[in-house]
Amino acid sequence: MSEETHARRTDHPGADENGRITVTMAEVPGLGGLYARGVAKPLLRHLPGRTSEGATVFGPGAASLLAPVSYRVAGVDTGDPALRERLAAYDRVVGEPASDVLPAGFVHVLAFPVATALMTRDDFPLPLLGMVHLANAVQVARPVVVGDVLEVRAWAQDLRPHRRGAQVDLVTAVRTDPADDAPAWRGVSTYLAKGVTLPGAPEPSEPHGGTAAPASDSSVEHPLPTGRWALDAATGRRYAAVSGDRNPIHLSALSARAFGFPRAITHGMYTASRALAGLARERGDAYDWTVSFARPVLLPGTVDVSVRPDGAAWVYEGWDARKGTPHFSGSVTPRG
Amino acid sequence: MSPRKTSPSTPDPAPSTTQPAVRDAVIVGGNRIPFARAGSAYRTASNQEMFTAALEGLVARFGLQGERLGEVVGGAVLKHSRNFNLIRESVLGSSLDAATPAYDLQQACATGLEATIAVANKIRLGQQDSGVAGGTDTVSDAPIAVSEGLRRVLLEAQHAKTTQARLKAFAKLRPADLKPNPPVTDEPRTGLSMGEHQAITTAQWGITREAQDELALASHQNLAAAYEAGFFDDLVTPFRGLSRDNNLRTDSSLEKLAKLKPVYGKNLAGTEPSMTAGNSTPLTDGASTVLLASREWAAERSLPVLARFVDAETAAVDFVHGAEGLLMAPAYAVPRLLARNGLTLGDFDFVEIHEAFASTVLTILAAWEDDTFCRERLGLDAPLGKVDRSVLNVHGSSLAAGHPFAATGGRIVASTAKMLSQRAAETGKPARALISICAAGGLGATAILESA
Amino acid sequence: MTDTYLRLVNSGVTKKLAKQLGLPRPAVLRRYEPGQPLVTGPVLVLGRGDNLPPAPDAPAPSPDADAVAHVLSGWGLDVRRHPSQLEDGGRWAGVVVVLTEAEEPADLSGPMLALGSTLRRIAPSGRIVTVSRAATPDDGPALSAVRVGIDGVLRSVAKELRAGATGNGIVLSGDATLDGPSVAGLLRFFLSSKSAFVDGQLVTVSSDAGVLPGAGSGWEKPLDGKVAVVTGAARGIGAAIAKVLARDGATVVCVDVPAAGDALAKVANQVRGTALQLDITAPDAGDRLLAHALERHGHLDVVVHNAGITRDKLLANMTPDRWDSVVAVNIAAQLRMNEQLLASGKLAEGARIVSLASTSGIAGNRGQTNYAASKAGVIGMVRATGPLLAPSGGTVNAVAPGFIETEMTAKIPALTRQVARRLDSLQQGGLPVDVAETIAFLASPVAGGVNGQVVRVCGQNLVGQ
Repeated sequence: MSEETHARRTDHPGADENGRITVTMAEVPGLGGLYARGVAKPLLRHLPGRTSEGATVFGPGAASLLAPVSYRVAGVDTGDPALRERLAAYDRVVGEPASDVLPAGFVHVLAFPVATALMTRDDFPLPLLGMVHLANAVQVARPVVVGDVLEVRAWAQDLRPHRRGAQVDLVTAVRTDPADDAPAWRGVSTYLAKGVTLPGAPEPSEPHGGTAAPASDSSVEHPLPTGRWALDAATGRRYAAVSGDRNPIHLSALSARAFGFPRAITHGMYTASRALAGLARERGDAYDWTVSFARPVLLPGTVDVSVRPDGAAWVYEGWDARKGTPHFSGSVTPRG
Repeated sequence: MSPRKTSPSTPDPAPSTTQPAVRDAVIVGGNRIPFARAGSAYRTASNQEMFTAALEGLVARFGLQGERLGEVVGGAVLKHSRNFNLIRESVLGSSLDAATPAYDLQQACATGLEATIAVANKIRLGQQDSGVAGGTDTVSDAPIAVSEGLRRVLLEAQHAKTTQARLKAFAKLRPADLKPNPPVTDEPRTGLSMGEHQAITTAQWGITREAQDELALASHQNLAAAYEAGFFDDLVTPFRGLSRDNNLRTDSSLEKLAKLKPVYGKNLAGTEPSMTAGNSTPLTDGASTVLLASREWAAERSLPVLARFVDAETAAVDFVHGAEGLLMAPAYAVPRLLARNGLTLGDFDFVEIHEAFASTVLTILAAWEDDTFCRERLGLDAPLGKVDRSVLNVHGSSLAAGHPFAATGGRIVASTAKMLSQRAAETGKPARALISICAAGGLGATAILESA
Repeated sequence: MTDTYLRLVNSGVTKKLAKQLGLPRPAVLRRYEPGQPLVTGPVLVLGRGDNLPPAPDAPAPSPDADAVAHVLSGWGLDVRRHPSQLEDGGRWAGVVVVLTEAEEPADLSGPMLALGSTLRRIAPSGRIVTVSRAATPDDGPALSAVRVGIDGVLRSVAKELRAGATGNGIVLSGDATLDGPSVAGLLRFFLSSKSAFVDGQLVTVSSDAGVLPGAGSGWEKPLDGKVAVVTGAARGIGAAIAKVLARDGATVVCVDVPAAGDALAKVANQVRGTALQLDITAPDAGDRLLAHALERHGHLDVVVHNAGITRDKLLANMTPDRWDSVVAVNIAAQLRMNEQLLASGKLAEGARIVSLASTSGIAGNRGQTNYAASKAGVIGMVRATGPLLAPSGGTVNAVAPGFIETEMTAKIPALTRQVARRLDSLQQGGLPVDVAETIAFLASPVAGGVNGQVVRVCGQNLVGQ
C-alpha cells in the first residue's frame, strides 16, 4: 500500500516559508510499510563528503544534507469512527481519561508517520532503522478535538553532530485549519543515528551499535517515587497496536534480539505519554510537553516514577526500580 | 398491606426552621467474627458467609430475631461481581425480618466507619430508628478477573446472535488472554502498593524502625490483654473454629520484631527501609457489624446504650503526584472535626488510629505535632497537639487483630463504644473517643464517640 | 447420633427378623409435639378397694382415687374406674393407681392385681402412675412398710412394661395434699409424652406450692412471660433445653463459653432469645448473668445449670487439671452462681433453678471419679439449696440424665454404645429433648411443690435407683 500511497503523492507547486518544497500525500502512510522501506534503503554509513577511509572531507554544511522538502497530508478526519475507536484504545493503554480532546501523544501517533515517510526518502541522510529517539518536545497551543479535520506537515531540520553520531530533528506541525498561522500542535522529535559522523564533526565517542550506559547512570540520586509502573512483556505490543509503531524492537524478545537488545523495549513515547496522562488534570488544554530518553526500558520491567511540580511546570522522571538506572525525564508545562 | 403506623419512638416532625431537629444516634453494641490471616481459617469462606455470620451473632446478642431494622449498610472492598447486593443478600440469609432494607457501600478501608456514619446520620435525622453498619472482606476468596482480552471476547460472544459470530469472537482469543488477573492492592494511579506509599511517607517523616516495632508490640500486647480480660466476650462470635484473631502473637517481642527483614521501601534512594511484616498489617479475612439506634428504640427493647455517635469528618489528599502521603488524610480530617466540635486532642479519653502500618499511626501523630505541617498544610496557628500514648489504641488495633479492609471500621467503632461505656461506668464521668481510619485512594474517615 | 438398631427392629424385614430371633426390640417412643392430645386413649384410675373381681367386703370406694379421676376428667380425658370398662380390642393409655390411703401391705393386693390385669392391654407408650405418700419416721411399722413397698412395686412394674410404656410414681410428703398444683402437674407430666424417657422414677411433692396454669392454653405455654437462662446452651442437651423452654413460652438467655459463640448464636436465633458469651467459672458469672437478664428482660425466673464437662480418667491416673477443671465447671461454678443469685435478692418470686446431675453421680462410673464427685455434688447442692428458695416459692432441683444420644455419647466406642443403650427398661438411649422436657416441667410454675429433688431421665437405667 505504501507504494500506492507514494505513487499518488504529488509535489506541491510552491515552497514553504523556509524554502522547502511541499510534497502532498493523499493520506498518512502506514508505519509498517515505511519500516519495510527503511530496511530496504541502502545504509548510508558514509555520508556524502566522507570517504570510505573515514577521512574528513570539507564540504557543504551538515544542514544542507537535508533535502529542502516538507511532506503534507490534509483532510485527516478525526471524526472517523475507526479513529475514535483507536483513540479510546489509546486512552486505555496509556491511562488517559476518556475524552474528546486528543491527548498530545495521540496526535503524535497520528501525525508522526508523515515525518517517518520523510525519513524513508532515498535522499534522507540517516538510516531509519536503528535510529535512537533521543528526545521529544510537543507544544499544544490549542486542543485538537474529535471531529477536527487536520492538516499535517513534517520536515527535518538541524542535522547536527552528537557525541555518539549524528542527530536530527523531525518537526511535525498539525493545524486544525490550514489557514491558521500557528499550528495547534507542533512536535519536534530528535533522533540519533549512532556511529554516523557528520562532515566537520569529531568521530563518535564510542563504537557504533554499543548500548553501554554512561558510567554515572546508576549512581544518580533520584527523588522519592510517586508511582511505580509494572510493565509486562506485552506492554510494547499493546502500545504498538494503538500507535501503529510496530518496530520489532518493541514487540518481542526474539525480534528485539535481532536488533541487539536482550529483550523487547518499551516505546519511548509510551513512557512519555503515560507520564503525560498522569498529568491530564494539571496540564489543561494547552501545554508544552517534553521528554528526553536515557536508557531504554527492557520488558518486562518495573519503573519507579517521580512526578512533582517545579514552578509552573510539572517535571517527571523514571528510573529502574531496582537498579536506579535512569530511563527518561521530562516536563509538562501548562500554557498560562 | 396498610402503611406502618408511626412508632412511638419517631420524634415529632421537625419544626420548619432552618436548623433541622437532630436526635442522638447511639451505639448499642457490635459483633464481629475473629479476624483470620489470609489463607488460614476462613480460606473457604465467602464475604457473604462471613458477613451473615457476624450479623447472626449480632442478632443473637441483642435478640433481634424477626426484627425489621431501619437499614443494614456495609460493603466489601474486594467483591465478586455476583455480590452486587452483598449486604441485602446477607440480610436475607439472617434471622432479621426479611423486610429489613440494605445497601452496599464501599470506601476502601474506611467502608465500615463510613457505613456507621451513614446509619448514624439517618437515625439522627429521624429517617430511621435503628440500623446495622459493617463490612466484610476476604483476600482468601478474592475475585479473580479474566484478562481484558478474554473479557472482551466473552462479552462479544455473549452479544453475538449467531453461532458463527460467537465462534468468530472466540477466534480472537490468544493464549495470553487465558491468564487470570488476581486482585492487586496497588493504587491504580500510581502503581505503588499501599506499603510502598507508606514507605515513602515514612521516609519523609523519618519514622524509625524502633518506633514502629514498639507500636506493633504494644498492639499485640494490648489486644492479648483485652482478650484475657474477656473484653471481647460480647464483641466477637467465633466462626469456623476460630475464637480469637489468629494474627495475634502473644509471644512477640522487640527482639523478634527487630529480626524481621524490611518488605517495603527497599529501593528508596537515600533511605533506610524500616517497614517489616511485623510492623505492617497482614492481609486478613473477616467481618464486623455495629448496631446503632435512637435512644427510644433501644429503650423500648431494653437494649444497652454504649456510646453516642457525635460527629464525623472525612478527608482526602492528593497523593498522586506526591503532594501528600497516601494514608495521611486523617491528619486533615481530624483538625476539621475538632474545630467543628470545639475540642482539642487532649479532650479524648481514647484515641483509636487504625494501624494500617505502625508508621501510618506514627506519621499522623508526628504531623499533628509538627509546626510547619500544621501551619502550612492544615492552616492552623500552632501544632494540633500531642496524643498521649496511654490513650492510643488501648486494646490493640489492626497490627495485632489484622485488617480485613471493610471490616476494620466496625471493629473499631464497637470496641471503642464499649471502652467508653466501661470508662464512664468506672469514673462516673462522661468519656470521649476519637476514631481515625486511613484508606486507599488518599481517603480518611474520622469520628467522635461519647459515652451515652 | 441415631440409633440405627432401634430403627431396624421397628421397620420392614429387619423387624420381622428381630422378632423371630427374639432380639430386644426397643420401641419408638411417643414424644411431645405441640397440640398433641395428652394421652392416646382411655385412662384407668384405680384406688383402695378396687379389687378384681370386687370383693364382697370391699371397703368404700377410694375418695382419693375419685379426686384424681376428677382432675383427669377435668382435662377432658376418657377416665374409667374399673379394668372391665375397656372395650374389646381397646388399650389403656394410662393407669393411675392411687395408693395414698394404703395403711398396711395387705392394702396393695387389690389395686396391684387390678393393675396387673391391665398390663397386657397397655397402649404403646402407655403410662402407669402411682400416687402414694412418703414414709416418715413417725409412721407406724405397717404404714411405713406399705409406703416404702409401693416404691418397690413401681420400680418393678416399670421393668415389666413393654412397647415404650413407662411407670412412675408421685410421692406426697410433708404437708402436700392431693389437691396441690404439683400433683396435678406431675400427673400430667407423667401421663404425657413429655416424660417419654422418664421411667421407674418416684418424684416427691413436698408442699402445695406452685401455681396451676390458667384456663385455655396454659398447659401449652406454662413458661409464658418467664425469663430463663440456660448455660451450656450452644449444643446437645443445652440447646434442646433452650428450645423446649422457648416452646413453652420462655424468653431464653442462651449462655455458653465465648469459644462456642457461633453455635450459641444459632441456638439463640432459633429460639428467638439472646446469646450471652460467658465463662461460668468467671468469679462474677452469676452477677453478670443476672445483670444481663435484668437489664435486657426485666426479671429472671429460671436458671438451668446445664454446662458441664467430662475429663475421664481412672482415679489411679488422674491429673490435677482433669480433676480440678471438672469440679470447677460442674459444681463449683454452680455453687458460686447460686450464691450470687440468692444473695442478690433479685431472682423473681417462684424462681426455679434446675441443675444437671448424672446417673454417674448416683451409681458411680468407672473412670469418672471426678465427674461423679461433681454430679453427686449437684445432688447434694440441690437438696441443701432447695429450702433456701422455698420461702419465696422457688425451687431447686436436679435432673440426672442416663444414656442420652448426644455428640458426647456418639464418641463412645460403637459396641459399648450399643450395650449402654440397651441397659435400661426402654432398651434405648434417650434424646436431649427428653432431658429438656423434664427440666421444663421442673421450671414451670406448677412444679413449685417439687423441691430439692433429683429426677432421673434414664429410661430406668439398670444402674442406680
